[in-house]
Amino acid sequence: MNRKVLYGAAGIGVLAVAGFMIFQALSTSLVYFILPNEYAADPGQFDGRRIRLGGIVTPGTIAFDERDLRLTFLVTDGLAAFPVRHRGAPPELFKESTGVVVEGRFEDGTFVSDNVLVKHTEVYVAEGDHIDIELLRESLK
Amino acid sequence: MGLSLGTVGSAATAIALGLAVYAVVVGALGAVRRDARLQTSARFTALAVFLAATTAIVVMQAALLTDDFSVKYVAEHSRIDSPTWVKVVTMWAALEGSVLLWAWLLTGYTAVLALTTANHALRPWALVVMQVVQVFFLGVVAIVANPFIVLANPPLDGPGANPLLQNHWMMAVHPVLMYLGFVGLTVPFAFAMAALITRRPGTEWMQLTRRWTLAGWGFLTIGKIAGGWWSYEVLGWGGYWAWDPVENVSLMPWLTATAFIHSVQVQERRRMLKSWNLLLIVLTFSLTILGTFLTRSGVVSSVHAFGDGPVGPVFLGFFVFVALGSLGLVAWRWDQVRDRAELDAAVSREGAFLLVNVLFLALTFMVLIGTLFPLVVEAVNGARVTVGAPFFDVVSLPMWMLVLFLMGIGPLLPWRRADHQTLARNLTWMTGGAALAAATGLAFGLREVYPLLTIGLAGWNLVSIGLLLAGAVVPRARLTGRGLGATTWRYAFEQRRKVGSMIVHFGVVVIALGITGSSGYRTDVQLRLPYGERVAFAEYELQAVAPFSERGPGRLSVGVEVAVFEGGRQVDVLRPHINAFGTSSMTVPTAAVRYRPGHDLYLSVAGAVDPSADGVIIRVIRSPLVTWIWIGAVILAFGTVWTLVPARARSVPAIVDAGQRANA
Repeated sequence: MNRKVLYGAAGIGVLAVAGFMIFQALSTSLVYFILPNEYAADPGQFDGRRIRLGGIVTPGTIAFDERDLRLTFLVTDGLAAFPVRHRGAPPELFKESTGVVVEGRFEDGTFVSDNVLVKHTEVYVAEGDHIDIELLRESLK
Repeated sequence: MGLSLGTVGSAATAIALGLAVYAVVVGALGAVRRDARLQTSARFTALAVFLAATTAIVVMQAALLTDDFSVKYVAEHSRIDSPTWVKVVTMWAALEGSVLLWAWLLTGYTAVLALTTANHALRPWALVVMQVVQVFFLGVVAIVANPFIVLANPPLDGPGANPLLQNHWMMAVHPVLMYLGFVGLTVPFAFAMAALITRRPGTEWMQLTRRWTLAGWGFLTIGKIAGGWWSYEVLGWGGYWAWDPVENVSLMPWLTATAFIHSVQVQERRRMLKSWNLLLIVLTFSLTILGTFLTRSGVVSSVHAFGDGPVGPVFLGFFVFVALGSLGLVAWRWDQVRDRAELDAAVSREGAFLLVNVLFLALTFMVLIGTLFPLVVEAVNGARVTVGAPFFDVVSLPMWMLVLFLMGIGPLLPWRRADHQTLARNLTWMTGGAALAAATGLAFGLREVYPLLTIGLAGWNLVSIGLLLAGAVVPRARLTGRGLGATTWRYAFEQRRKVGSMIVHFGVVVIALGITGSSGYRTDVQLRLPYGERVAFAEYELQAVAPFSERGPGRLSVGVEVAVFEGGRQVDVLRPHINAFGTSSMTVPTAAVRYRPGHDLYLSVAGAVDPSADGVIIRVIRSPLVTWIWIGAVILAFGTVWTLVPARARSVPAIVDAGQRANA
């Protein structure tokens, strides 16, 4: 009987520690998917955190430095736009007005990315066009 | 319009479904009434179901190989100019076809079981359970996701299979292995349910299905590692495991199955853990179905997901049915499955098995939480999140370390209670091995905790295997007067289960070392290689020679030839390229790998190959020891097969005698 209590207590102890560890690890490694306007609304919430930022590559803003392998462009959702800096070559299907999801974090208003994913979106943006936010969000999923 | 392939295929699946329903009804009636004639009818119906399902498979292959685009599945997933092997594997490259393959394998297993299992009290109900599962899968094929629907206006050509899947021959192997594993683990589940229904929850059900369970586990293990290798070769990031939801959901049944193959031994030897084993096999089977639901419904997004479809809710319903039904059955028979034996001492074989079981279950739970948590968050506040790989690494690494620790000590502990003297001696040797291994790691400049721990535990396990082998072989050699080599050889053939498990554990150690090297010490950079110039990378110099483009069947490849120099001497030419298939706008960067035991050199084209440019940008990865993961998998597969081959009965009694004399 005593032994059962002991094993029971040990089991609960192990579960408690495991639960705590899982909770800790979960809260620090959640990666939010947001659009530029969501960052603009509350930058503090996301600063320094790893996030996935989705949007459209603003036409005319792509620059690629072949020497340093540095890619810069503006990503927009029609409401807000932020500069993205990426080390590495542009992915194969990367071009103006295409949908992208970039992974990384904001540093002083610039998004420093280590991964650029090209997404095919139904959203077409010409300059000045209105972007349907919900459609954009769905298509970047 | 004559008889089209689509119509024949639909008819075959409908007949298979009808026969399967008949087999369930007649089998259940026969089992309840103990009517041998009805039972026999159900058994032979299993063969008929298999033949009908085989007809459907043959029809699908015929439709794919003859480019019959009047069949919807072919029109949506195949293409005239694809090579033949791609057409063959297109059968499981998309949702409907993959369910068809799964159903077919299931009918095959059921037929083999029905015709080869000896007449046993569990057989009738076990077959009924198998056939219920079969009805579900055939029902999905025939009704919900029928691949044989006939198109009134067939297109002239189709889009072809998903480019990622066409890009590597492993795609012909990996899914089939996974399905063989999933289906194989249905067999112990069916016998477990039969044991509960017939009130015989002893060890019969697990002993009857021991080979099926091990084979299923082996297929699943090798299938997962094959998937990792596919990912390594195809996805261009030089990794093999990303904690992607689809990887996760297939890891969960593997974890519970691994726990299961260990804990059944406790029940066989000590008559303990009856209910635990039942729960594990129920979990394993339920998680298989849950995983199929999650990945085939678009609930979790992933590179592997087949997208939305009507199949999701059906699988969810079946998951609920399986989970409630089987757990209800366990609850109903609770009085019989309660354990009466108690754990004598924590430091014993069963204690180690129990602990490793808890760890595997905790790992399963962690993977489940990490995979489903995004759904919870989205439901609560609408935010879209993913759980990053760091979560899984941080939480699972300590547990993997404990698993490796127990893998070393467990097999050396005797049942019931350890003798302290022997234990102390073994522990001294193993600790010595661990210290030596870790010191070697330190001498090579490793300073990080987990890599050093893993290397130490590798040493711990190698010594453990050595002690196990020496403990068995040395006394035998003394008794028989034969040499150690000859005795080890004989022992390996006579004690296949024991030696097989040592080989499998050795394979696991090799895989652990491969994972440590490749995840902790890889270099991953992008380099611009101007044509004709040598660019230094690690111990190599890389020189882009010239771009090339070539046309294969249904495929256009654009790439670059890169000469690899080491110590000023050219050692290799690698050809990383980008494949485009048919009319698909999606292209697949295809890495070129120089496989070596020390480390792999992995080149993948980053961005586009522009023939007019004066250089090309290449992602260059140096991944230490990664090859040992695949080598370890081969060792592990060999160990599993070794265990499965029956021992030669003739020579066993002699050794049992010798063993008894040694003990006397």
